[in-house]
Amino acid sequence: MKHLIVLLSAFVIFSGSLSAQEKQEPWKNSQLLAPKVLADKITKNQTADVLILCVGPDAVIKGSVDLGAAHDAENLVKLKDYLKDVPKDKEVVIYCGCCPFAKCPNVRPAFTVLNEMGFRNARLLDLPKNIKVDWLDKNYPSND
Amino acid sequence: MRILFSILLIVFSIQKGGAQNKPLKIGESAPAIALPAVNGDTLSLSSLKGKLVLIDFWATWCSPCVEEQPVLKSIYEKFGNKVKEGKFEILGVSLDKSKDNWQKGIDQLQITWPQISDLKFWKSPVAKDYGIEGLPFNVIINEKGKIVAINLHGKALETFISNYLKKM
Repeated sequence: MKHLIVLLSAFVIFSGSLSAQEKQEPWKNSQLLAPKVLADKITKNQTADVLILCVGPDAVIKGSVDLGAAHDAENLVKLKDYLKDVPKDKEVVIYCGCCPFAKCPNVRPAFTVLNEMGFRNARLLDLPKNIKVDWLDKNYPSND
Repeated sequence: MRILFSILLIVFSIQKGGAQNKPLKIGESAPAIALPAVNGDTLSLSSLKGKLVLIDFWATWCSPCVEEQPVLKSIYEKFGNKVKEGKFEILGVSLDKSKDNWQKGIDQLQITWPQISDLKFWKSPVAKDYGIEGLPFNVIINEKGKIVAINLHGKALETFISNYLKKM
């Protein structure tokens, strides 16, 4: 019984700290998209229902739309403008890839815009290091 | 048939691995760099042979790189006499994409050492040649073009340069 209580307490503390971590970011962990999943979709030409938006320095990913670095207020307006006629249930994937999320000035303002505009299938491409290491070095499809 | 398949699989794996970066090693010759400066003139690393060269890989979109520029500026000023004597140089290699941002960054940060870039962001071949996996990143090469230090920052960077220049 004692063990059960200890285990339950640990679970409550652990799950509490997890949700606290998630609360700090505008996205949920479930909204992170693995690069391989997107790369496979692009390779198999299955991106008709996906909108891939670059909110960083350069649209490296094949078929993605370059909207400029989202830390710049002008580019954020450009992003809002671009999205205003897009259906709210469309899968919208944003990425930057300049640096790890902790140091990236672009993904937070861009994802916040998606949330504020009510996009229900907003995703953030999970690039733990950067677009070179997590995409280009893996030979995933890129704009040449 | 099975053996042939295994061989093909191994060859394929090696080729895939080849896309990844080969880490630099101290003592190796520094990979060649020849890229345009802001004015469009090409500047090559080989033209700096005979000097101790700190190659600073940076970009205006990289906040820690921008924060490090004043440190580099103080190093450049501290060893200004060695720069004049042709014994020391800093070479800034930018992974910027936008020439405007690059130029504005150089102006705002008042960078006076040579700056070059192919404006290809992470697709720049130098990023692959130098095995860069994140910025800021730097390499120090000696007067013979050999790598003598990799990715030193702060006080360690200044101490290394100071000690090396004393021996030159």
